Amino acid sequence: MTVKALRAIPSGGKNGLGAFILQCKKLEFHYCDWAGSSKGMNGFIKSLLPKFAAANPQIEFSISPRPGKHPVVTGHYINGRTKPICVRNLSPYEILEKLELLRDASGEKLKRTNKAVTSSKPSVRGIWSPYHGKGMIV
Amino acid sequence: MKGIRPSRWGGQLLHARPGSATIPRRNFLASTVRCQSTVQAPAEDLIDQIPEEGETLPRKLPSPLPERALQSAKLAALHSRLSLSKKIPLQALARALVTPSADPNSSFNNANLAFLGSTIINYHVAEYITCKWPRLPMAIHYEALRAYSGPESLAQISRRWGVEAAAAPGEEVDPGLLQWTSNPSALVGTRWGGYVRAETDRKHSFYRRGISSRVILDNDFGDAVDAGSVTHQHHQDTSFSSFVQAVVGAIYSHSGREAAKDFVESHILSRQVDLSSLFHFQLPTRELAMLCAREGFEPPLARLESETGRHSRTPVYVVGIYSGKEKLGEGNAPSLDFARRKACMNALKSWYLYSPGNKVRVPSDMMEEGAKPWKAPHIDIGEVI
Repeated sequence: MTVKALRAIPSGGKNGLGAFILQCKKLEFHYCDWAGSSKGMNGFIKSLLPKFAAANPQIEFSISPRPGKHPVVTGHYINGRTKPICVRNLSPYEILEKLELLRDASGEKLKRTNKAVTSSKPSVRGIWSPYHGKGMIV
Repeated sequence: MKGIRPSRWGGQLLHARPGSATIPRRNFLASTVRCQSTVQAPAEDLIDQIPEEGETLPRKLPSPLPERALQSAKLAALHSRLSLSKKIPLQALARALVTPSADPNSSFNNANLAFLGSTIINYHVAEYITCKWPRLPMAIHYEALRAYSGPESLAQISRRWGVEAAAAPGEEVDPGLLQWTSNPSALVGTRWGGYVRAETDRKHSFYRRGISSRVILDNDFGDAVDAGSVTHQHHQDTSFSSFVQAVVGAIYSHSGREAAKDFVESHILSRQVDLSSLFHFQLPTRELAMLCAREGFEPPLARLESETGRHSRTPVYVVGIYSGKEKLGEGNAPSLDFARRKACMNALKSWYLYSPGNKVRVPSDMMEEGAKPWKAPHIDIGEVI
């Protein structure tokens, strides 16, 4: 038996190839009952949050008061990172937009993408080789 | 000063033994710290410590009660994140998160579900590998199986599901957290599959472990089953992977075979595994010659196709392997011999990694309603030498 096997653990699947897992796992809300910057947040928690939470059962919601501080929404992601957004003086619908941003984020740091396609598959055409074919006539 | 781990400060005195939990600790302190005089210690101290016959002490449970599953936000979110069917109750998911190392009672831990799930996962992965790459040698087959459904891979999957472990298992923990401890005494009886070999006790002698005996004696991934040598990392991986297995087991028992198969396909078989990186050849040239003889091809011949810089510091040789007029493989390297070996390895890999296509039929497809008649796939006899 001259073939032996090496051990290799795949570096990881592609999310959405097969099954999709929403990367945002928890949203934390902090508000203050007294301060004026939390006015929009308090309105949001009363009016819009129940509907938003019902529409997104994949996410765990936790709401806690933080008196004397600006209101903050924090997204916790599967990769272990968090994204806090301060929502002071925002209206409920502006807060909803921020929440949709947090929900749809992957949790990774923001990156500039230069290539239209990023693929883990090898190129179909292969890589050009100088040793094959006629080569270049100089 | 010699460093002692905090867990060992208590030493043998705090070591819990059934029936003797409350007595010795109090008496020890009473006799050493308090009672410095020669007056006899009051006898009532001893009396009220001993529990009456049949009286039970209030004890903490090792894992949260199943009823608490309905109140856990984490658990409901996990259930929904995995898009599990409504038929699978939250209590089943909560039970899948309790490993035998946290709660040894098999009515409350995930051992049974994980065993069921592991057989389902390993069956679907094995039939997929066999039908998709019918010429794989057995050693590569085992490693491919491990790459898809081994403990490390399944642990990775469960982390990508967002499963977190509790700091320590117990009754008060949120049921949406994975409960495990790396206490080695809790490991006994949590493994299944395979037999402990007779020679495991004789450590210093070498015994050959052939493929046939690995098929019969060893576990699902061809690893020898031995009682000791479990690292923390391995135990952690096993605990996390048991959750994935238990979820598959729960899906099978609540929603049936097809749902379980779909779940395995979408979460486990959809991962990209590069099988060509698993091969390690020792005698590629001889193996290719044997392969050509076995299959009735002409003996392989290495030909130099092109070269550059033979007298330079970095030469490149491109060598092709031919059998008659057919080109079997090609390789390039900075020396002629190594280029030939590489060409042989490429030829062997292209033989072993033959695949009839991406959409292969597997035996479990026959279980569906109105399946077409089974056409037996070609399965090769395996490795050459």
